[in-house]
Amino acid sequence: MKQKKSFSKVLTENIGFWFIVPWLIGFLCFKVYPFASSLYYSFTNYDLFTGISKHGMMNYQTIFTDEDILRAFKVTFKYAIFDVPLKLAFALFIAYILNFKLKGVNFFRTAYYIPSILGGSIAIAILWRAVFNTDGLINTVITAFGAEKINWMASANGALTVIVLLRVWQFGSAMVIFLAALKGVSEDLYEAASIDGAGKWTQFFKITVPLITPVIFYNLITQLCQAFQEFNGPFLVTKGGPNGATTLISILIYNNAFLRHKMGMASAQAWVLFVIVCVLTAVAFVSQKKWVYYSDEDGR
Amino acid sequence: MRKSIKKVMALSLAAVMAVSLAACGGSSAGGSGSGENSGGNSGGNTDASGASGASGDEKVELKFSWWGGDSRHEATEKAVAAFMAKYPNITVTTEYGAWSGWEEKQALNIMGGNAADVMQINWNWIESYSGNGTNFANLEDYSDVLDLTQFPSDSLELCKADGKLMAVPVALTGRLFYWNKTTFDEVGVAVPTDEASLFAAGEAFKAFNEDYYPLALGEYDRMIFLVYYLESVYGKPWVQDNQIQYTAEEITQGMEFIKKLEDGHVIPTLAVINGDMADSLDKNAKWIDGKYAGILEWDSSASKFEQAIKESTNKPGQEFVIGEFIKFGDHDGGFTKISMGLAVAATSAHPKEAAMLINFLLNDPEGVEICSTERGIPCSAAAVTVLNEKDLGNALVKEANAKVLNFSKFPLDTKFEHNDLKANPDGVYYKVFGKFSAGESDAAKAAEDLMKGINECLGN
Repeated sequence: MKQKKSFSKVLTENIGFWFIVPWLIGFLCFKVYPFASSLYYSFTNYDLFTGISKHGMMNYQTIFTDEDILRAFKVTFKYAIFDVPLKLAFALFIAYILNFKLKGVNFFRTAYYIPSILGGSIAIAILWRAVFNTDGLINTVITAFGAEKINWMASANGALTVIVLLRVWQFGSAMVIFLAALKGVSEDLYEAASIDGAGKWTQFFKITVPLITPVIFYNLITQLCQAFQEFNGPFLVTKGGPNGATTLISILIYNNAFLRHKMGMASAQAWVLFVIVCVLTAVAFVSQKKWVYYSDEDGR
Repeated sequence: MRKSIKKVMALSLAAVMAVSLAACGGSSAGGSGSGENSGGNSGGNTDASGASGASGDEKVELKFSWWGGDSRHEATEKAVAAFMAKYPNITVTTEYGAWSGWEEKQALNIMGGNAADVMQINWNWIESYSGNGTNFANLEDYSDVLDLTQFPSDSLELCKADGKLMAVPVALTGRLFYWNKTTFDEVGVAVPTDEASLFAAGEAFKAFNEDYYPLALGEYDRMIFLVYYLESVYGKPWVQDNQIQYTAEEITQGMEFIKKLEDGHVIPTLAVINGDMADSLDKNAKWIDGKYAGILEWDSSASKFEQAIKESTNKPGQEFVIGEFIKFGDHDGGFTKISMGLAVAATSAHPKEAAMLINFLLNDPEGVEICSTERGIPCSAAAVTVLNEKDLGNALVKEANAKVLNFSKFPLDTKFEHNDLKANPDGVYYKVFGKFSAGESDAAKAAEDLMKGINECLGN
């Protein structure tokens, strides 16, 4: 009788734990184990077909000395530096417009969200190539106005622009989050500001932006993580070219892991990328004290 | 009471989910376990042949995987159906797709012990994925059901690893020049047959329209062209006994020739080709519409280029012709290689029946007739006889294959197509020719980088 009671007590006290056990098993098997094993592999020359024959820091030494790998990291940084602010600014701008009581606003909200649903699919890659190739839509429009054709793939910046724009175009998810935040800003504040003579721009920068900084911060972190892990755009549209101009580190990780089966090197590259993203996220978290406004924490 | 029932139900649910998750992990682990056992099994597989399931009533299930285009899929599906009709106790499930991403997927299947019983493999997979003779069954063990005498012995030798026959060669292939004669007629210049006429075509095309080029070569095409050019001039194979046979000066000269082709408007720069943003040359609008009027392509792949220009929407019915080998020196340059092979996975539970399927596809008149030249001109003498007797197959592919096999005699090193060299965008070929075409390196530096990358790949 006593034993039954204690069993029941154990169940009652830990019922939450038992509910998450299935998830926990999945998490341990499919997240923690690969995560930990990749750290171990990063210190080996693990090849899928020949196994491990060497341990040490050689992968990390290569990463920090190999010209092509360093270039891929630089390109990844460059990509993120352009992509994240542009996407956030564009998403916020459109969300701000769609926050007005316009006719057919629900249609526009849906229309602007659609590109995000499409994601980095093959169909979008084909569309993007059709838009940006030398005889594509953009050049057709440009030449109609008498200008010279642009070969986007002839220069590093041109190619990078193509893949940055692809991601910026998919601003829908960030926009929806901004829209929700904008809805949360009290109309009273705008009314008061209007009475005081503040224009729309002043209202935007002095009221809207400060009040939605937690959401800007959230979007910044998520977009930063996504930008550093971007793969589909350059893989499908530019194939990393021309001359490695759009070869992000994720493409090198993929090629090392699945084309060359050098899991040791791929793991090391993934870990360096992980550390970079962690450091940048940490910097963002530290910096939030300076610019993110939390109303429940007595201001800043 | 009701509370405890709820708790029991919740726990049961959690337990079922946990067990099902664990089961997923378990089966995966089991899969790799069976892969590890495959080496041991391959010895045991010989007794599977002794089971002679095909002739008996034992139900046998095989899986057959290949890559290719729609017409190959259709023909192979028909051939598999015919095989199953002939051997009712054998059921073959098929798995096929386009080339893109196929190698990555199959390599993981081989490694994980989940490979299909019968696999269409690229020739370099023997070097890359056979695990020195352990990942594919030794087909010589099944010569009672697979007639190996139909295949040239030197081709069979090229399919061996550690003395074991890893695959049966399906076809031999080589690269030839093909021209869009309609465009050449439009421009008003003859199809090139030698170096002088090649450069004359470049000038004529430039004068006609700057967007038009007589020949288009991507990064990997340039590498093959370079080897063709050097072999043609110097008469030496590219790599032999694991050593590059050319000096830096000779390779530099080859690089300079490629630059000369770009400068002479014979080939577009890689920036121009990349600017087209096409998946491949046969899908490039400029090829389809005749702006690029020549290619250096495998005979086994030429039909898709032909189809593309014949079915062009803007310019239908363009004429696709096989070109002469352009000689840049006193020798016949170029190489032929085994385009692909059919292998049996070492993990197959029914290797004998798998070998029977290969025999049906490559040697049996019924299978040969259905597959025709979908995988190029067959290596099998029996298949060639069937094709000739019944006048089957694409005439253009047959003509091109005969032409290249007669002309190009240099051997190809097994690592020529290694992913360290051929991978896009970070393979040596892509990096070297990309930088060279963009003017980021000169001919000497490009030659030096190429040699360095290849030597690393060769392990020197």
